[in-house]
Amino acid sequence: MIVGRPIPWLGIAPLLLFLLVLLVWPVLSLLLDSLADGAGVLGHYQRLWETPIYRRALGTTLMIASLVTVLSVLLSYPLAYLLATSGPVAARLLLFVVLLPFWTSALVRTAAWIVLLQRNGVLNSLLTGSGLLAEPMAFVYNLSGVLIGMTHVLMPFVVLPLYAAFRGLDANLVQAARGLGAGSGAVFRRVVLPLTAPGVLAGGLIVFMNALGYYITPALMGGPGQTMIAELIAYHLLEALDWGMAAALAILLLAVTLAVFALFQRFFSLERLWGGAAGGGVASPLAGERRGPGGRLAALAALAVAAFLIAPIVVVFPMSFGSSPFLAFPPADYSLRWYVSILDNPKWWRATVNSLQVAGMAVVLASLLGTAAALGLSRLRGRFTGWLEGLFVMPMVMPAIVVALALYYFYAPLGWLGTLWGLALGHTLLAAPFVFITVRAALKNLDPNLELAARGLGAGWSTVFLRVWLPAIWPGIAGGAVFAFIVSFDDVVIALFLTNIRTRTLPKVMFEGIAHEIDPTIISVAALLILVSLTVLVLNLLLRRR
Amino acid sequence: MASAQDLEFRAITKRYGPVVALRDIHLTIHAGEFFTLLGPSGSGKTTLLKIIAGFETPTEGSIRLGDTDLTRIPVARRNIGMVFQNYALFPHMSVAGNVAFGLEMRRRPRAEIDRRVREALALVGLTGMEARYPRELSGGQQQRTALARALVFDPDILLMDEPLGALDKNLRQNIQLELKNLHRRLAVTIVYVTHDQEEAMHLSDRILVLDEGGVVQVGSPEALYHTPANRFVAGFVGECNLFPGDRTGGYISVRPEKLRVGRDAEGCDLTVPAELSEVIFVGSGYKLLLRSGKLDLIAMVDRPPEVAIHEAVTVGFRASDGYLVQD
Repeated sequence: MIVGRPIPWLGIAPLLLFLLVLLVWPVLSLLLDSLADGAGVLGHYQRLWETPIYRRALGTTLMIASLVTVLSVLLSYPLAYLLATSGPVAARLLLFVVLLPFWTSALVRTAAWIVLLQRNGVLNSLLTGSGLLAEPMAFVYNLSGVLIGMTHVLMPFVVLPLYAAFRGLDANLVQAARGLGAGSGAVFRRVVLPLTAPGVLAGGLIVFMNALGYYITPALMGGPGQTMIAELIAYHLLEALDWGMAAALAILLLAVTLAVFALFQRFFSLERLWGGAAGGGVASPLAGERRGPGGRLAALAALAVAAFLIAPIVVVFPMSFGSSPFLAFPPADYSLRWYVSILDNPKWWRATVNSLQVAGMAVVLASLLGTAAALGLSRLRGRFTGWLEGLFVMPMVMPAIVVALALYYFYAPLGWLGTLWGLALGHTLLAAPFVFITVRAALKNLDPNLELAARGLGAGWSTVFLRVWLPAIWPGIAGGAVFAFIVSFDDVVIALFLTNIRTRTLPKVMFEGIAHEIDPTIISVAALLILVSLTVLVLNLLLRRR
Repeated sequence: MASAQDLEFRAITKRYGPVVALRDIHLTIHAGEFFTLLGPSGSGKTTLLKIIAGFETPTEGSIRLGDTDLTRIPVARRNIGMVFQNYALFPHMSVAGNVAFGLEMRRRPRAEIDRRVREALALVGLTGMEARYPRELSGGQQQRTALARALVFDPDILLMDEPLGALDKNLRQNIQLELKNLHRRLAVTIVYVTHDQEEAMHLSDRILVLDEGGVVQVGSPEALYHTPANRFVAGFVGECNLFPGDRTGGYISVRPEKLRVGRDAEGCDLTVPAELSEVIFVGSGYKLLLRSGKLDLIAMVDRPPEVAIHEAVTVGFRASDGYLVQD
C-alpha cells in the first residue's frame, strides 16, 4: 500500500448517501405502502391478481414490450448493415440520422408522430389526396400508434450496439465465406447473424426493459385498449387516489424490470452497449464491400427505416412556420405567427426558465456526485465494487414512473412537492448514473502507469488529480454532463408528479398541451427543442472527436 | 549528473500475502553503472525496480542511496527517473509538456524549464517535435520522449522497465546503440529490466539474474556467459550444451561455438557419437542440431557439415572449453 492514498470511500460516500436517502429508502417505503392494506398483508397484490383490468394491463404491457422489441430488432438489421457498409461520408450522415432522433426528447417525437398520423394528419391527407385511400385510416390512438411511437423512441438502443457489432466484424470472414461459395443469404445467416447476435440481444433486452415501464408514448398515442402498467400507476395516484394500489403496481413493475436487468447483467455490460455510438472516424472493415442483390434489397430497406427515423423530425419544421390555426403539411402559406405566440405567452417563458433552472442544478449536482463516485470506485478493490456499481446505475434501470412515485410519497409529507429544487434532486437521481458511467469508462481507459509516471516525476496527489486524471477524464465528465442535461431537460414523468402549476417545466406544459389538443404553438416549441437537441448532439460529437 | 552514489539493497524481501516476490536480496549497484535485472516473467525483476522507484515498499530490509535511507522516502522526493514499458506518456500533453512535467514539479523557473526541455529533446534527437502529441509519434519517437522526460531533471538513477519491448527488431538494435552511447556520455546510473538475455548482454556493465524472487548470479556479461553459476543461468544466458558430469552430479556446460563436429572433433578431450538432425544457415556460419543418445546438442560451425542429415558424426570439446555448473 502506498502512504497518503486518499480513501476511496470519500469519493463513493456522497452518491451512496444520496441514493440511500432518495432512492433506496423511498422504494422500501413504497414496498411497505403496497403491503399495508386493511385486507391483509398481500391484499393489494391479491386484488391485482383477481381483477381482470390489472391482469389485462399486465398482459398488454408484456405484449407491447415484446412487439416493440421484435420490431426494433427487425428494423435495426438493415440500417446497421447499411451503416457498416457505406463509405465514411454516407455512414456519418446515416449515423446522424440515427442519433438526432435519439437525442431529441421523446415528447417532441411523440407530438410529431401524432401530427403525422392523426385522422386529419399528414399521412392521411397524403393517402386520401392521392386517392390511395378513400377514407382516412386510424393510425394513432390505437395499437399501431403505440408501436410506431415506441419503436421510434427505443430503436436506437438496438441500432447502436448492432452497428458496433457490424464494425467489429472481420471483413475477411465475409470474404472467406464468399470464397467458400456462400451467397448473400448464406453469408448473412451463417456468418453475420451469429457474430452480431450478442449485440442484438443486448440491445433487445434494453429495449424490452425500457418498454415495460414506458409512460409517455402509450399515454399519448394509445387508446383504451393499450393501457399499460405505467398508465395504471399514474391513474391510481393522480385520479383514483389509491396510493396503496399505485405502490403495488409500481413494485410489480419494478420486480419485472429488475428481473430483465439481472438477465442482461448476466451476459452483458452497460458500458459495452454505449460503446457503439462512439465510433465515428475509423472506417468500418466492411466499408466498400460490393453489394449483391440481397445487399441491395437490405440497403433499400435501410433507407426506408432511416426515413422512418427522421420523418417526424423533418416534418415539424415546415409545419411550425404555417399560418393557419390548423396544422397542415405542407402549410398553405408561411409565417412566424406561432413563434410569436410562444413569445407572447408567459406560460412558455416561465416553463422554460423553470426547466433551465432545474437542469442547471441537476447537471452540477449529478456531475459532482457521479465523478466523485467513479473516481472513488476506481480505487476500491473487493466484492463491494460490483454491488456499488449496480446500485449506482440503478436509477437508469428503474422505470421513471416508479422513481417518480417513490419520490412523490417521500416528498409529500415533507412538503417538498412543487419545489424546483425537489425536482432538481429527482433529476440528479436520474442523471448521476450517466456521469458515473461515462467517467468510469474514461478511467478504465486511463493507463495506470500514468499515475506512477507523474508521481515518479515528483507530483503529489493533488497534482496527479489536476494534471493527469482530470484532463484524461474531462471528456467523460463533459459527455456525462451533456447526458445529464438532456435527461433533466427532457424529463416528463418525474416533473408530471413532482411539480405544480407554478413550477411545471417545459416538457410538462407540452405534455399537457398534447394530451389536451395539439395546437400549432406546440409544434413550434417542438421545432425549437429539436434545434436544442441538434446543438447538443453536434457539441457532443465535437467533444468525442477530441 | 547529480553526485554519483552507490545504490545498496540490504536484505530486501517482498511478500504479497503468502506469495514471496523477492527473497533476501543483498546487492550494490555502483554509481554510473549500466545494471540489468534479467529474469523470466514472474522472477521479481519488476518488483525490485518498483521498490527502487518507491512504488512498492519492501516487506523487510532497506534500500540506501549513498548515505541516505530511501526505504521510507516517498516517490515524489526520490529524484529517480523512470521509463515505463508502455512509456506512460501523458496523452493530453505535447512532447514538450511531457518533458517539462518533472521540472514543473520541482518548481524550476520557466526559462530554465524551456532551456532544459530543449536540451533534453536535442539529446534524444527530437528537436522540432516539441508541439507534437504522443499519438502523433512513432513508437521510437515515443520511446525517446519517455527517455527525455526521465532524464531532464538530472535523476540520481534512471530506471527502465523493458523499454524496448514494444519496438520492432531493427529499431530496437538502433536504440540499444543510442542508449549505450547516452549512458557513456551522461554517466548516469541506469537500472534496466528485461527478459531478453541478448539485450542484457549488449547493454550492461553488470547483470543480475533473478529467478523466483532470488538472486541467482551477479556479474559482467562475460562472466555470466563463460562461468554461469548454475544450470539455469547457463540455459538462460545464451544457448548451451549441458553434458551430465559423471562424478559430481553437476553438468559440463559447453557453448555452441566451442562444440566441435566431425574432423574438428579429432584430438578433443571428450568426444561422443551423435546423429545430425538439422542444418540451419545463419549467415555467419551454420547452426547444427544434433542428437547424442537422449541429449540434444547445438553446434555453431563455419563450414557446412561433412555428413548428410541423419548420418552419424562425432562431436567433442576441449576440457578448457567446458565449464562445470551445479544443477
